[in-house]
Amino acid sequence: MNLGDQKKDQFAKQFSAGLVLFAMLMMVAIFLFQYAPIIAFFWISGLAFGYILQRSRFCFVAALRDPALTGSTAVTRGVLVALALTTIGFTAVKYFYHVTGQTIPGQNYIQSIGMNTVVGGTIFGIGMVIAGGCASGMLMRIGEGFKIHLITLSGFFIGTMLGNNHLEWWSNHLLWIKDGVFLPDLFGWVGALIIQLMVIGLLYRLAIKWEEKQEL
Amino acid sequence: MNMEDQKKFRKWFKPSWSYVTGAVLLSILQVITLIVTQEPLGITSAFSYWAMRLQGFLGFGTPDHWAVVTQLMGFREALWFEENLVTLRNLGIILGALLSALLASQFRLKKIKSGKQLMAAALGGLLMGYGSSIASGCNIGAFFSGIGSMSLSGWVFGLFLFVGALIGGKLLLRFLI
Repeated sequence: MNLGDQKKDQFAKQFSAGLVLFAMLMMVAIFLFQYAPIIAFFWISGLAFGYILQRSRFCFVAALRDPALTGSTAVTRGVLVALALTTIGFTAVKYFYHVTGQTIPGQNYIQSIGMNTVVGGTIFGIGMVIAGGCASGMLMRIGEGFKIHLITLSGFFIGTMLGNNHLEWWSNHLLWIKDGVFLPDLFGWVGALIIQLMVIGLLYRLAIKWEEKQEL
Repeated sequence: MNMEDQKKFRKWFKPSWSYVTGAVLLSILQVITLIVTQEPLGITSAFSYWAMRLQGFLGFGTPDHWAVVTQLMGFREALWFEENLVTLRNLGIILGALLSALLASQFRLKKIKSGKQLMAAALGGLLMGYGSSIASGCNIGAFFSGIGSMSLSGWVFGLFLFVGALIGGKLLLRFLI
């Protein structure tokens, strides 16, 4: 057997292992579904999330890091598209709940704004670049076989423990807007949607310009 | 299925998708998740949950502190997979990526290259853990879901993520590459 054949053999093996894994994952899904459909949903949405991230090489770290590091904005533009589409989808869902008089879902993701946002964002940004992966990227790469990201995960866990114990302090000090800002409360539903999409569009154009500038 | 068909079937899983395809699919996943679970996607609340559990088990930290974090992070109090469904989803992310990598024959067990890489991973993880727990979220929960939910906090977090990434990039060039 020459090297090429060995390689092909390896491919076939991995593919077969993948099919076995798929069958096992679906069996777990059926078990969870019988237990409670919502639990099966969390399971399957996680699998889909990981699958999409791996297959499309979608990386939030690269999106925020590469414009300055390599000048490439391809991933950045991908993330901007995701932000725009999710904004439209979420706003449609939220508006539907609003006009039908139901509780708007996901409003606990409207976080307070304060020094915790600034410091948290900055050190998260530093951490993800030096570790080469954020929370989702790290989980995805563990699945791809990167042992190093098990170390990142351990560090993440210890950092979380420290942060949890300081959370009370951060939420009582230097908190500027305690209840957060839901943009439609400020600009109206349509106004907020237009403003946000315009900002995303502007960033998209900036990303294209930035990459063109690098090529010159 | 004969050999040729099998090969064709295999090839279908091989090519990477474009970033835009990824963006579209992730957005669909976000919207379905919002409707079904009444919450956007998030990851790090699971880490907070287990950090709290471990701390409680080891016996340091006050009991009412647990309540504060639960309330601040917006947990739902509910067998381990039932108790914290975000953990189950995170496990799904790992296995979904493994599935994708296997089907495309891209799975490789990658060794840790050096002590330097080990330090960078541990320190990076530590910073991300601390940052995400005080800002209540990561690139997914606070940034992607935050902005998608039209929360100003998502934009502020994103701006400083960018600032952090700039600093991180400088550190990377100075110490690691």
